Amino acid sequence: MLSNNMADPRRQNKILRYKPPSTETNPTLEDPTPDYMNLLGMIFSMCGLMLKLKWCAWIAVYCSFISFANSRSSEDTKQMMSSFMLSISAVVMSYLQNPQPMSPPW
Amino acid sequence: MYGAYSFWVLVLMLNSLLPEGRYNDDFDDGEDLADFDDNDFAEFEDMTDDSAAEAETAPPPRASPSLQPDEDEDEDEATVELEDGQDGFEDPDTQDQDIYSKYDQEEFEGIGDMEKTGQSMKDPLIIHTVPAHLQNSWESYYMEILMVTGLLAYIMNYIIGKNKNSRLAQAWFNSHRELLESNFALVGDDGTSKEAVSTGKLNQENEHIYNLWCSGRVCCEGMLIQLKFLKRQDLLNVLARMMRPACDQVQVKVTLNDEDMDTFVFAVGTKKAMARLQKEMQDLSEFCGDKPKSGAKYGLPESLAILSEMGEVTDGVMDNKMVHYITNHADKIESIHFSDQFSGPKVMQEEGQPLKLPETKKTLLFTFNVPGMGNTSPKDMDALLPLMNMVIYSIDKVKKLRLNREGKQKADKNRARVEENFLKQTHAQRQEAAQTRREEKKRAEKERIMNEEDPERQRRLEEAAQRREQKKIEKKQMKMKQIKVKAM
Repeated sequence: MLSNNMADPRRQNKILRYKPPSTETNPTLEDPTPDYMNLLGMIFSMCGLMLKLKWCAWIAVYCSFISFANSRSSEDTKQMMSSFMLSISAVVMSYLQNPQPMSPPW
Repeated sequence: MYGAYSFWVLVLMLNSLLPEGRYNDDFDDGEDLADFDDNDFAEFEDMTDDSAAEAETAPPPRASPSLQPDEDEDEDEATVELEDGQDGFEDPDTQDQDIYSKYDQEEFEGIGDMEKTGQSMKDPLIIHTVPAHLQNSWESYYMEILMVTGLLAYIMNYIIGKNKNSRLAQAWFNSHRELLESNFALVGDDGTSKEAVSTGKLNQENEHIYNLWCSGRVCCEGMLIQLKFLKRQDLLNVLARMMRPACDQVQVKVTLNDEDMDTFVFAVGTKKAMARLQKEMQDLSEFCGDKPKSGAKYGLPESLAILSEMGEVTDGVMDNKMVHYITNHADKIESIHFSDQFSGPKVMQEEGQPLKLPETKKTLLFTFNVPGMGNTSPKDMDALLPLMNMVIYSIDKVKKLRLNREGKQKADKNRARVEENFLKQTHAQRQEAAQTRREEKKRAEKERIMNEEDPERQRRLEEAAQRREQKKIEKKQMKMKQIKVKAM
């Protein structure tokens, strides 16, 4: 007779399916970075478009990249893509209207 | 919502395209100047400013022939030195005029040299640099080039970081696969497939977080392993980590059935982790009120501390094998938390206390640090294998660990105490909630009576309600009387 530590501990009948932990119960565990960066990116790209500030548009591009890098795989890619496109369009519009190079703030 | 955003953006972009772009107006003045003056030199008048630079660098070779006023020859340059007393001629260099008026009547040979030296001494040559936006060179766009380089660096780092994390995860899984497959019937599940079949793969939640769900074993419901790597794919995070080093973590959460564990709360880990957990975790703060004890008393290294509900629990958990495991791998252990009242970290609610006790689950939580402090290589993952052995051993051990009668009584008392405290704290709120519910019921009752069509039934229901009210009032009065009697 096999002793206990030689016995197979696996039990096919005790299998439980994986349930992804719901984020409503633990809002603190979620990383808010991608959402903040997304919002920031949109704000900066709107600023860049409206006020025709080149550096705003560039920062918006960076924000959307950072948001993409930190995003969860379950997140909607459409949102990522739309913020990315918005920031690229902000950069392009700023340069079409004013082809001068950006001057450093110092 | 974002559809509306993009629509407005398009509208605004079209609006901003309509007005003309601003161009440099610097050179446009030349067109209109011909109208200003009928003078012969009208065309050349304003060119004095722009080509003053050219004119001033060129005077030495032209000094001698220019003495004779000869407008036809020198059409290209607004020769300041030529005209003397011409109308409408803007002459910024009146000095030059004086010099030449002096030399007009004199000999001309050899004067060129004198003029040359005189000029170089009296008029320092101001060579204006062409403003940056008028240059057509790539160098003036250096800020843009810098930005694009930064973006490329970010993308490169993203690719490299993602690959490194993926390799580390795979290395971990490869070294642990055998152990897990021999212990669990289901290794790897993402919850989406119809049948409970092992996927044999990690779930990728993020570029830096990987999950693995194992289930189908005696003594436990299931085990969730989370590989929480550093955010190597985010350049900002990489730079922040240069200031503040951190390490990859492996978190193992074993959920147990009710019969698999007796009632106790216990934790062991680094001093810092214990202090933090005692503040953050709901169950540790309620059941383990004392400060963390040093692990040295039980044969553990000094760096580790113990939080326990009662001494008997610590003695039960810290048997020789466990002490052996922990001592050998103390550098990799961040925290080990066994609890039958586990409900996660304390939840901060805005409306004061929650009305119900949070749901608890019997859980074993292990947090391990991957050696290497950020600079891990796939080989380091093998070092975590003994820790997984410890996890399996703990599962079996906890199943066998039973408190004696005294311990059980203490544990039950503790739990009753915690529940009572909670009820007391929320008493006021629960009363309010009960009051509102009673009022709701009354209102519903009244509405029902009102809506009743048959007047006969209406009357009867009203009478019934009145009788009930009367009874309640009488009961209350009786109670008050009883209390008064008792007080006396």
